[in-house]
Amino acid sequence: MLPGVVGLIQATEVIKLILDRGAPLIGRLLLYDAMKMNFKEVRVRKDPECVLCGDNPSVTELIDYESFCDVPLPGAEVPEEIDEAAYELSPQEFKAAMDQDPSAVLVDVRESFEWDICKIDGAQLLPLSSFEPATSGLDQEDSIYLYCYKGKRSMLALKELKKAGFKKLKNLSGGIDLWAEEVDSDMPQY
Amino acid sequence: MKLNNEEINRYSRHLTLPEVGMAGQLDLKESSVLMIGAGGLGSPLGMYLGAVGVGKIGLVDFDVVDHTNLHRQIAHTTSDEGRPKVESLRDTILAGNPNIEVEIHNIRLERDNVLELFKQYDIIADGSDNFETRYLINDAAYFSKKPLVSAAIFRFQGQITIFSPEAGGPCYRCLYSEPPPASLVPN
Repeated sequence: MLPGVVGLIQATEVIKLILDRGAPLIGRLLLYDAMKMNFKEVRVRKDPECVLCGDNPSVTELIDYESFCDVPLPGAEVPEEIDEAAYELSPQEFKAAMDQDPSAVLVDVRESFEWDICKIDGAQLLPLSSFEPATSGLDQEDSIYLYCYKGKRSMLALKELKKAGFKKLKNLSGGIDLWAEEVDSDMPQY
Repeated sequence: MKLNNEEINRYSRHLTLPEVGMAGQLDLKESSVLMIGAGGLGSPLGMYLGAVGVGKIGLVDFDVVDHTNLHRQIAHTTSDEGRPKVESLRDTILAGNPNIEVEIHNIRLERDNVLELFKQYDIIADGSDNFETRYLINDAAYFSKKPLVSAAIFRFQGQITIFSPEAGGPCYRCLYSEPPPASLVPN
């Protein structure tokens, strides 16, 4: 419902510009909070140092926006480069390997709100946001089978485990989303 | 340009408002708005711009309607699943008001197509959902000297403003000089 409120304010401002009526939201940023149900207004000013519309612009034509927005987190470690394909299993392969592996431990690295929507039976939840191999309670003797929503976050967890000395690691390629399509048709997708 | 009798009847509650009137209604009919995004924001935006009589609406989106869109992207209905969003939204707008023109651009907005597109419209309305596109639209609107009515939502909060350096206001870069780190951007 939030986009309805916001989209209509946007429509109102478009119409006011066309009609040249009222006070437009130029120089004002309107903030709407649906939970608190309040509106706040922040004055925003033109920055004379702005690289585009400032006094001495350095952006004088369109740039490569993909690389401009590909900003690394300050101090973030670049994940280790590994042969990811060697750890990826399709949903069927993942299930078959787990079923015949007595030391299989299934780990879900999604967040708890995702866990509440659906999960694979027998999994334990270790969200990536607070994932630490040392405190995870996982045993290096076990085979760790990892999954998340689409397979990216679980690969990050896999890399951390590998760095911590774990050897027997598998990642569910395509995550629980593909699992729902190919293995468990009763599972909801989100 | 004139209104036909059907339009006069349709817009009669506007025509009797002194703030709009016949002159204002003709201004709306002669105006053109390019909307980027035919999803959550674009649905109500497009439906209302069309209903009130904006003469030409351009829709840019390259996505198709997905089942998970339906709970908030109200221009699209269950039977639209799998259709390009621009087509679905166009049909909804025209069903509401067949007097206007809706141009669809089923494309990803890029550095090499944005300026040509912006040239054809008076006002740009940004309802896009990623930072690359926001910066692209901001810069292109500035170079094209078009006002940019910008809206963004995240979880339970929304932001709306007009970027119009021409009119003395800031641009998007005045507020956000750097994009956030990619790993912190929610998808």
